[in-house]
Amino acid sequence: MQPSSSSLAASPSRSAHPVPAEPPFGVNEMRLNARQWLAVLAIVATFVSTAPRLWGSFEKFDTGPDYRIPYQLSKDYWLYERWLSKLSDPQQIAVIGDSVVWGEYVSRHGTLCHFLGAESARPDRFINYAMNGLFPLALEGLVEHYASSLNHRKVILHSNVLWMSSPQADLSEDKEQVFNHSRLVPQFRPHIAPYRADAAERLSVLVERHVGFFAWVGHLQNAYFDQQSIPTWTLEAARQASPSGLAPQGRGMLRRFLALEVPGESENDPQRGPQSPRHRAWTASGGEPAHFDWVALDKSVQWAAFQRLVQLLRQRGNDVLVIVGPFNEHMIAPEQRPMFHGLRDGIAAWLASERVPSIVPPTLASPLYADASHPLTEGYAELARQISQDQTFRNWLAR
Amino acid sequence: MLVVVPGFYALRTTRFWLPWLLLASYVFYGWWNPWYLILVAYSTVLDYLLVALMDHSRGERVRDPFLRGAFLISVSLLTMLIGAALVLPATLRPTLLAFALLVLLMAVGSLLASRRMWLFISLFNNLALLLFFKYARFVAENLNQVLAALGTSMQLPDPSGAMPYHLEYVLPAGISFFTFQSMSYTIDFYLGNVQRERHFLRFATFVCFFPQLMAGPIERARHLLPQFHRAPPFRLQNLTDGFSLFLVGLFKKLALANYLSLYVERIYDYPGAHDATALTLATIAFAWQIFFDFSGYTDMARGVAKMVGFNLILNFNNPYLSTGLGEFWSRWHISLSSWFRDYVYIPLGGSRGGTFLTYRNLFITFLVSGIWHGAAWTFAIWGILHALGVMLTRELERSRVYRERIPAIVKQAWVFAYVCFAWIFFRATSLDDALLIVGRIFSAAWGSPQVPALMVALVAAVWLYQYLYESRLRPLLRLGSVRVALAVCMMLYLCLFSSGGGTFIYFQF
Repeated sequence: MQPSSSSLAASPSRSAHPVPAEPPFGVNEMRLNARQWLAVLAIVATFVSTAPRLWGSFEKFDTGPDYRIPYQLSKDYWLYERWLSKLSDPQQIAVIGDSVVWGEYVSRHGTLCHFLGAESARPDRFINYAMNGLFPLALEGLVEHYASSLNHRKVILHSNVLWMSSPQADLSEDKEQVFNHSRLVPQFRPHIAPYRADAAERLSVLVERHVGFFAWVGHLQNAYFDQQSIPTWTLEAARQASPSGLAPQGRGMLRRFLALEVPGESENDPQRGPQSPRHRAWTASGGEPAHFDWVALDKSVQWAAFQRLVQLLRQRGNDVLVIVGPFNEHMIAPEQRPMFHGLRDGIAAWLASERVPSIVPPTLASPLYADASHPLTEGYAELARQISQDQTFRNWLAR
Repeated sequence: MLVVVPGFYALRTTRFWLPWLLLASYVFYGWWNPWYLILVAYSTVLDYLLVALMDHSRGERVRDPFLRGAFLISVSLLTMLIGAALVLPATLRPTLLAFALLVLLMAVGSLLASRRMWLFISLFNNLALLLFFKYARFVAENLNQVLAALGTSMQLPDPSGAMPYHLEYVLPAGISFFTFQSMSYTIDFYLGNVQRERHFLRFATFVCFFPQLMAGPIERARHLLPQFHRAPPFRLQNLTDGFSLFLVGLFKKLALANYLSLYVERIYDYPGAHDATALTLATIAFAWQIFFDFSGYTDMARGVAKMVGFNLILNFNNPYLSTGLGEFWSRWHISLSSWFRDYVYIPLGGSRGGTFLTYRNLFITFLVSGIWHGAAWTFAIWGILHALGVMLTRELERSRVYRERIPAIVKQAWVFAYVCFAWIFFRATSLDDALLIVGRIFSAAWGSPQVPALMVALVAAVWLYQYLYESRLRPLLRLGSVRVALAVCMMLYLCLFSSGGGTFIYFQF
């Protein structure tokens, strides 16, 4: 703010609009010419296109018969895509859907896929390609952008009526909501009213979907940095570190990173499986029949997404079988059950009109449900038995 | 950027290039809050008119028809505004009365045909906008405290009550920047430093040129306006230079400022819960955060402007390598400090009146500069600390021992330490917090710093780069391979490590 020689030198001229002298470029030497920019872009493009593939060829990714994407990697779409690409046996059937297929309350040995495999006497026949936290709008995005390896295969698709049980679950109410897997839902069209990301965020999602590199960066964050951006993780690790070195969190990451191994699902997950306190019937915690604010099929955003998903799979040459429910009808207030039946039958009718084979299993016994839509381990076993005995299913398997 | 730059080049040879820039600027600004556009447009139209009136107000042209028209229009408007204030809803009354006062001043100005009067109206209007939106609540709250302390029951109302139709009373983004830019034009015209700009679109584009509208650099009419007289020719170098500047700015913002902000927020949000080490390091981290944030924005603004062929002035010149506080201010936010120098410090008398008057002028200038940054006592103290620092440096510089015997790196270190100390008041959320932080830095125990090594390495790398840039090894940085390697590293870092957007600190000013 003091007068300086430079300010005196810059004393104004009174001539008419003199063209000013060009100011200094900057205070660094980062002034690249066109050739240098081309070199930079070539190097960056090479890295971006090869790094994920190279990483995939070195990183250990062990999957067994009952493998499912671990809960903590639920947003690792790159890993999902990589896992799908492992599907080589034409006899293997991909089962896709939300947490009902994934098995929210059960261990990986207590899922629908596990019991379907057991029924067919081939443990690796039905592969659990569900992800926790999905819903039809997100599942549509997942299949569209990360599941091209599924093309021309048999696919079992699960339909969960839960997503039409209220305008909030349907994502059709005009009120901002924060929900899982928002990066999978349509960003511009069709319009999702409760999704209020700004244009920059939406555009970045589009880029992420088309440039696999960014999904890979997401994989690194999910698999090694506790689902945080790397800077955020370093900060947390530094906070927990003691003067003598890294905290267990940091050491664990370092170990995994050096071993180049995708973390698997814990066999003793305290949140899932018969030993878990969460694994109990919905009535055990005092649950009672409730009223649902059902959304009509012709108004449902999630149902429209499900319809588009079925069409997409068929366009990709998939042989699709849809399992509708079974929703926990015991949880619906008796006077509302006709409404639910209308909805469920409407789904079945549309699938029939589209010549998509479907199974609408009967409602399981009340103690076999953990909540409105998730069965417990015995529920899955029962459901698998019912499906295996269903003629539509047998015909579909045989063709 | 992806729309404006190609659009500009598509229209460059037509007469629509200037409207395109103006449209882009208004869309960019309106994106944040469309209501703010009214403010920018109003400020632009009024200053354009006032300079036109100033141009017609010369001693021998008192009977100028333009001024007569202005008088008649002002009187008619005044009547209409007073009538409207009586008839229209009460929520509009404060706004209408404010306009009525302005129009009254314009009527008086038309009668007096005085250039000084028009300048006064322009300053009054721009400062009134700033005062109302930025300082009114602060002033009202403080006066209310004084009134309460005096035992009176009288209280000033909250300024939000003066908003028409109860619109939200928020600080319009960038108001401090565009009002200062517009004011500099009227002052410079008054002083005869610039010609009157007759082309309205050109002037409007100057006031709200989108790259620098939100957080500067605050351009001067004599530098930016002439560039809008003709579409710049296409030069590949403009694009490559623009991208170079933009990349550096983006890296500063996303990779450095955002990263540092995570650490700073964690410590500064709970200053009482952290020891002296963490508070000291968080203060140093904030010094770098605000530098990267603000200079990063400036680099991006200059880069985007350069892509379309326009040159914006340099706003930062490695300020943390300064060996004195005065030098610091010739390297930090250069466009603002030169604004205060030209329009506050020099009109006050500058350094022409001896040591006492010089220091008084410095004190006032820095105090105003501090308050410009925000309506809080912490900003005023920050300004005062810098005033004291500049005075101290000036005194030290008089000593030959200090000038010649103290190594530059020692001076740099103490200037940096002093600037960091002042930043405590700038960053703290309240005066109490600031004093708590200062107290704990000097009294609390020292412990684990909890700073990620990656963060330290990044800041050290930038400091080293700046140091090399100002050393004899600078040619090393000019090597093509070094440039390419650094650009690749920055891009890959952004791709791999970036933690997303976040707003710029200076948007709030």
